[in-house]
Amino acid sequence: MEEALIRVKDLCKIYNPGENEVRALDHINLEINKGEFVAIIGQSGSGKSTFMNMLGCLDVPTSGEYFLNGTDVSTMEDNELSEVRNREIGFIFQGFNLISNLTAIENVELPLVYRGVDRKTRHKLAVESLTMVGLEKRMDHRPNEMSGGQQQRVAIARAIAAQPPVILADEPTGNLDSASSKEILQILKSMHEQGKTVILITHDNGIAAQARRVVRIMDGKIESDFINKNYGKEEYIKNQLDA
Amino acid sequence: MSNLYEYIKMAVHNIMANKGRSFLTMLGIIIGIASVIAIVSVGEGTKNQMNSEIDDIGGGQIAISVSDEAQTDEEWITADDVEAIRAIDGIEGVNVSDSFSGETTTGKGNFSLMLTGEGPDAKLLNNATMKHGVYFGENEVQEAKNVCVLSDADAKRLFGTDDVVGMTVDVNCYGLTKSLRICGVTTQKENGTFVSYTYEGMPVTINVPYTTMNEFTGVSDYFFSVTMQADKSLNSQDVADKVVKLMEKRHQCAGKDYFQVQSFQDIMSSMNQMLDMVTAFISFVAGISLLVGGIGVMNIMLVSVTERTREIGIRKSLGAKTSSIMMQFLAEAAILTVIGGVIGIVLGVIGGYVICSIISSSMGMSITPGISLSTIMAATLFSCAVGVFFGIYPAKKAAKLSPIEALRRN
Repeated sequence: MEEALIRVKDLCKIYNPGENEVRALDHINLEINKGEFVAIIGQSGSGKSTFMNMLGCLDVPTSGEYFLNGTDVSTMEDNELSEVRNREIGFIFQGFNLISNLTAIENVELPLVYRGVDRKTRHKLAVESLTMVGLEKRMDHRPNEMSGGQQQRVAIARAIAAQPPVILADEPTGNLDSASSKEILQILKSMHEQGKTVILITHDNGIAAQARRVVRIMDGKIESDFINKNYGKEEYIKNQLDA
Repeated sequence: MSNLYEYIKMAVHNIMANKGRSFLTMLGIIIGIASVIAIVSVGEGTKNQMNSEIDDIGGGQIAISVSDEAQTDEEWITADDVEAIRAIDGIEGVNVSDSFSGETTTGKGNFSLMLTGEGPDAKLLNNATMKHGVYFGENEVQEAKNVCVLSDADAKRLFGTDDVVGMTVDVNCYGLTKSLRICGVTTQKENGTFVSYTYEGMPVTINVPYTTMNEFTGVSDYFFSVTMQADKSLNSQDVADKVVKLMEKRHQCAGKDYFQVQSFQDIMSSMNQMLDMVTAFISFVAGISLLVGGIGVMNIMLVSVTERTREIGIRKSLGAKTSSIMMQFLAEAAILTVIGGVIGIVLGVIGGYVICSIISSSMGMSITPGISLSTIMAATLFSCAVGVFFGIYPAKKAAKLSPIEALRRN
């Protein structure tokens, strides 16, 4: 059997160990294969943000194992984690998290800078990914000269520029109006269709329903994990309704 | 370090994005470097001016004198000694110079005199230029001729004109009056910044052969001190050692320190040492402002780290390593201080010229600032060191932030 792209085993994250300990993640087991489109859904306080930090290698678990692309990252050190984030993961955040004094293209180039890619290649890749999200005419604009939807598209371009196997989107539509939200989800979907592994973290059932697989988290545990049979249809219905 | 260029680019980007703040950050460094350079250049300029003036009158001169250790007249320097010293290789001339006060009356009134008995090489040792006539020489000294030499300025005081060669001065000294024929008039040198040749109320100076002088005083040919002119291309100290050795041999008092030597090199070096110390002290005080400037850089960088926590979080989530963040902030601090240093150097050089021209015009001196490459190099190196040193703490603080902590903050 082919090794899963993401394999999480007995993952625990405990804050304030001792009497008032908080089990943010309680023995989570999950496998995500290459090319999946997974929504991780949960209410605030359910532990989904903590889980997203673990998946994104921004934080290390208290116990358990996390294999990403075949290597155990749960015991890695700070600098190794930086490298893994750079190589394996493209982040899309709720607040866009663009650097305000850099232009769109400079923002997109950043992960490539940290990877040590030369200037020419960097520029070429950044232009390609900005074109993919339809912002080829806004490359030299700064974030404050763009709408929220455009900023999030820059963030997506940044996430895919370094061509990581995993796209990790944390409430990507949380700060956007419905039209922009639809646009963003459409882009995520098309990336999935191009073979990328997309993980979408959200609290919104409607948005989770756009993914092919939905994992529900509650109180630090996986409550349900099912394949969305309406994938594709749902989009059709929703689009009809909105129109 | 292959990415060094990128970090420098990021740092420059950030500095340019916050021009006002960057300038304020640099201000401390600018003031510190500028004041150090200005002070050192004015100090060097003063020293150079002083040295060149002193070298004009006394370069290569050596003085030998009988020390207090000598117990008897036996050790005093004789006329024969003078001749022996004169024969040493590298000695261009020897002079004795004993002054006595006297007086004279001319058509212009009463004048007090300073009578200086001198040897055959007086013209050389006094660095004299003749306006009229000639200086007295070997013949006049040997035969104790009644001749004298005076400066054009003094001639004017006595007679109202400097064309006085052939005229006589009636000199009264120790109760004896002699008529001295003026054989030469020298050109009075202009006063320098540090060396004065004349002053108000100075007695009229009249130079006469020492043998003639002895007739006034009744003293025979013994001297307490002798000055000599060494070849300027030689080391005065070596020549002085030769003279002492010869004297000790002639007086059979080797190793007894009966003869003391002082060369102009000694005087100049001790004076320079003093000036250097003053300059160093003031530079040290100015250096403190550099330290304060460095702390200013550190403070602003710390504020910047706090303000840019989110940016640091973003960069880390995109794969920036601890060292990358560290390099970025360190580069920023270093560039700030280097730019500040360059501005400071320019302002310091300008400041040096301004201070020197103020001193020159207000005190009637002429000083040009002595700006050396080594001063500028040292200032630049120091400002770089300040930047890196005071950048380390904020940079470390920035680099150690955990990405989730940093991203959570707004």
